[in-house]
Amino acid sequence: MKNGFTFFLGLFLALGLAWAGIVLGSNAQLGHLAPYFDENEGKAFPERMAGIAARGQLVYQDLGCAACHTQQVRRPDFGSDKARGWGDRQSVARDYVSQAQVQLGESRIGQDLANFGARPLAVDADRLTQYLYEPHGGMPSYRFLFTERKVTGERSAKALKFATPSGFETVPTHRAEALVAYLQSLNNVYEYPEAKPVEPAPKEGEHK
Amino acid sequence: MTTVPPAAAPAEVTEIDTSARWPLLLLLGSALLWLVFSGILALVNFIQLHTPGFLADCSVFTYGRSSAMQEAAFIYGWAANAGLAVALWLLARLGGSPLRSLNWVVAGTLFWNFAITLGLIGIATGDMTSNGWLHLPSYVLPIMLVAYGTIAVPGVLAWTGRRKEMTFAAQWYAVAALFLFPWLFSVAQMLLVFAPGRGVLQAIVAGWFVQGAWTLWLAPLALAAAYYLVPKITGRVIPSYDFAQLSFWTLLFVGAWTGGRHLIGGPVPAWVATIAVVSCALLLFHYLVVAVNLRGAFCSGGSTILKFVGFGLMSYVVGGFIDAATAMRGVAAHTQFTFFSEGQSQLALQGAFSMMIYGAIYFLAPRLTGRSWPSGALIRAHYAAAVTGTVVLVLSLLVAGFVQGRDLNDAAIPFAKLAGFYRPWLLAATAGQGILLIGNLLLATHLLWLACPKAVNPAAFSPAPTMEASVS
Amino acid sequence: MSDLTPKDPRLEQAGASDESLLAAHEKLLGRKPDDGGHYKMLPLVLLFVFSGLIFYAGTYLNHYSGNYDAAVFDENGHSASGAPAIVKLDPMVTGKKNYDLVCATCHQANGLGVAGVYPPLAGSEWVTGSEERVIRIVLHGMKGPVTVKGTTYNAAAMPVFGKVTGSGYNWSDDKIAAVLTYVRASFGNTASAITAEQVAAIHAKEGDRKEWTAEELEKIH
Repeated sequence: MKNGFTFFLGLFLALGLAWAGIVLGSNAQLGHLAPYFDENEGKAFPERMAGIAARGQLVYQDLGCAACHTQQVRRPDFGSDKARGWGDRQSVARDYVSQAQVQLGESRIGQDLANFGARPLAVDADRLTQYLYEPHGGMPSYRFLFTERKVTGERSAKALKFATPSGFETVPTHRAEALVAYLQSLNNVYEYPEAKPVEPAPKEGEHK
Repeated sequence: MTTVPPAAAPAEVTEIDTSARWPLLLLLGSALLWLVFSGILALVNFIQLHTPGFLADCSVFTYGRSSAMQEAAFIYGWAANAGLAVALWLLARLGGSPLRSLNWVVAGTLFWNFAITLGLIGIATGDMTSNGWLHLPSYVLPIMLVAYGTIAVPGVLAWTGRRKEMTFAAQWYAVAALFLFPWLFSVAQMLLVFAPGRGVLQAIVAGWFVQGAWTLWLAPLALAAAYYLVPKITGRVIPSYDFAQLSFWTLLFVGAWTGGRHLIGGPVPAWVATIAVVSCALLLFHYLVVAVNLRGAFCSGGSTILKFVGFGLMSYVVGGFIDAATAMRGVAAHTQFTFFSEGQSQLALQGAFSMMIYGAIYFLAPRLTGRSWPSGALIRAHYAAAVTGTVVLVLSLLVAGFVQGRDLNDAAIPFAKLAGFYRPWLLAATAGQGILLIGNLLLATHLLWLACPKAVNPAAFSPAPTMEASVS
Repeated sequence: MSDLTPKDPRLEQAGASDESLLAAHEKLLGRKPDDGGHYKMLPLVLLFVFSGLIFYAGTYLNHYSGNYDAAVFDENGHSASGAPAIVKLDPMVTGKKNYDLVCATCHQANGLGVAGVYPPLAGSEWVTGSEERVIRIVLHGMKGPVTVKGTTYNAAAMPVFGKVTGSGYNWSDDKIAAVLTYVRASFGNTASAITAEQVAAIHAKEGDRKEWTAEELEKIH
């Protein structure tokens, strides 16, 4: 490869073609994906999350929760996601349009969290907060999201319920509350048109 | 045909090496320090996997942050620094003239390492992003881009301004790596960090970046080293060399299309994953040709460096076949989201890249410093530790992943019970990381000992014979 | 060729000089293609493998790319239909919702209107009678006196709801049909449903026009 210019052109093309195909191509298809407006319900799905839940997503990101948890449900015949109660349908692109930083995750050391908001542990905010302090199973504890402080006046309503030295209470910080709100908001149940099962491609030589 | 009159034989060490001594030693030294640091973090991470309470209450070491730190330290600390040093040295030697603008290389190295340090502190204190291989906070990324440019430019200039018309495969791979990474990095920064795309577009771009960084940056750096070391040490030409060009361009043109590999069955249009599957299969050709070209590394005849390169080559080719196999949907359904992918990643980064670069370091350091390595025992110990550690780590991760995948897909097993089944394999993997850390400590101390000004053991280079272009 | 003896790892000797390495490999590449006319098996095998991989890649792409459609997430299939799936409006749900939102302001939630000001819809002959008339009322609005169930109302005008100029609401034909279907089946009314196609037909026929008067509507049947 003697000709310097052609060589660099080749290098550039090699990267540029992949960029054009994957990045530009998917941007053309998904870059302007908008929430789906349902005439019957009169609102758009996916619904935007509340401000505290959006702050919770930032906490999720900065703690690196995506290192152990995925947030994508696979279709029923690909793995056991539906059987485990993680979701009734495959996650589609539209489920993530209103998320600022998508946290798809690549590892299931912990459970999938795409529809965590519907699971029993998430329904009760206090129970979930307690779980962050004292998890069971393989999850590490996140005690640095809580502060232990002296009780002034009445015990705080948000104090965790377990035995503490008298006169002290353990209270979740704002980060813990935001994280809990975020986890409770994770629920993608709306059935978009593209989320319905598709027909298999007709076999060769067969008429549909 | 081995004896050549000494006067006519070209010297093994020339001004090219002596002028680049301290800049490249700075790069190599920083690389090895980062390697040790990332090794310590990796050990901490693996302990946390089977003992979640370990260091959990310290927010700096929570698993999510410390695994991001380990990855950044390994890739941008060790792999980038070492790969750049090897690439620059190769291009200078094969180009035939000393590297220019070495002050820029030194400045770039200092800024690059400063940026990574700042970035790691940022991750530890909560500024990490959620993109694989790009966890560093946004404020260090532009510094890194500019620093990389200043280090890479002398290398690219050594290619364009080369004395000889003829070029060799090692140079193609080295220039490709130096040239392509800034484009990859800058596009990824823009689309993931500074102007993030909408929704799953981020995941697609992140996958394109990770696969691009492996196939278009790290793998070419390792292959440049391997393509140089094998003929240089054996003294024989590369067999089937005429296919090397085709293999090179196949890697470049097909490599980044494998970006959707981990998104099979995910919330992306089906074509993204299908193209990745197809590209992984097409890349098999590249792996086959590389195996055929570099098979001389397997007949090392006692050369420790070739043993390193041979192991690296085997890991690289086997890794490529495993990638293609696990890209297929039937297999992916069982290996996705498990430790199997982590095992594949370790096979590529530790087994293939690191081993080939260790070989390159053992070869080029005496030529840079003009001294031979102080201790043969340390080299042999490092080889033993690296091979044992890598084999134990990769095999135990692959088995852990297999067990985890099999159990994940069996909905009858409650999720909480899964960890009990793969825990023994994680303990083995932790042991593997420990052995690797010992090996890396040995290498780091050995390099510091070599570069230490007080040590005097001048290298006696025998004149290098002439290679014949025999038809093999 | 250098013979390889167990080497001291502390200093790896080079097996060849850089210049000869470059020269030897350049010579290999510079060989003429049909040098000696002997074909080696290995390169042929590699070529076959390459072509085989490309063929496999092409076939796989063909089958499993889902027509490169952004809405196909399962590589085994393609979209069920060419047109995007339209979620059918349920007229009773949508109709009631829009009625309660807008129409109830004047005609009241129970459809009885306000005496002397807004005519009732319950049992009204305008509502349960001719479809042509009631569609026009909602589409283009109505002004002027109108007699409903024996009482004349002239206090207020019926606003324009359809997608015509001067409309503040710009309801689609679907929505108008849904609301009319709801009203005609509620408040004790039991008239037939109205379809979106009917509304569309009348909309196309009449186009843009100002509000109807009761006399004009009575001429239509």
